Amino acid sequence: MRSTTLALLVTSTALTAVTGLPAQSAMPSLADATLGALSALNADHPKPQPFILVSDDEEDDDDEEDHEDDDEDEGQGGLRHQAPAATVTPPANGLFGNGTPPQVKVN
Amino acid sequence: MKSLLAALAFTTALTAPGLALARPVTLTTTLTNYGGGGAYLALYVTDAKGTYKGSLWMAGKKTKYYKHMIDWHRATGGNAAEVNGITGASVGAGRTLEITLDLADALFDAGYTLHIDAAVEDMRESPSEITVPLTTSGAGKAVRGRRYISTFQYGL
Repeated sequence: MRSTTLALLVTSTALTAVTGLPAQSAMPSLADATLGALSALNADHPKPQPFILVSDDEEDDDDEEDHEDDDEDEGQGGLRHQAPAATVTPPANGLFGNGTPPQVKVN
Repeated sequence: MKSLLAALAFTTALTAPGLALARPVTLTTTLTNYGGGGAYLALYVTDAKGTYKGSLWMAGKKTKYYKHMIDWHRATGGNAAEVNGITGASVGAGRTLEITLDLADALFDAGYTLHIDAAVEDMRESPSEITVPLTTSGAGKAVRGRRYISTFQYGL
């Protein structure tokens, strides 16, 4: 029983060594990959480059919409901006005469 | 000479009715101190059957808020062209809006009613807060509002 167990252990170790070690050596390690990438970067910069602290600040004001400009909305009548008073004649709805243009005052 | 006088009389006869067809009317709306932002006001007219005839004034320029003038919006579909050339700024609480318009004489004593819809941001809408018949006898008489409008009156 004891010799059988020992034989199985030796066999499995031998199989692992034969198949696993070549496979592992064929895989580039993560460290190797990182070093490779850095080497590629440094290829353009012969001199050693200082480390740069990259901010992880997610704020990006450029993407914020300007909600203050509410006047840009379009009316349901398809008119983007209705003309202010006295800049054009009032609508021809039969309510207005042809006299003085509208005058407005707020007190 | 006679033909000149005849021509003058003829053109005067043609022009005079046109001059008498409209008159300046001052619409004065005083708001209450409701404690909110500027009020949007839609002033418009319906006929004796309640059918929308046209707008007289829109206080407030942002068309996206026009849907809150509920009765006006229902009648016009929110068509901003209805208030083209008759639009001004919204009116602050406690302020008085005074508009003078050249209005057709035919609007008075003919069953027409002036309506004012009011709306304030983050506050309740107030459709037809003012409804006042347009009559010559009603000129100068103040009408009280329900929510945002303290008084309204028109002067001929």
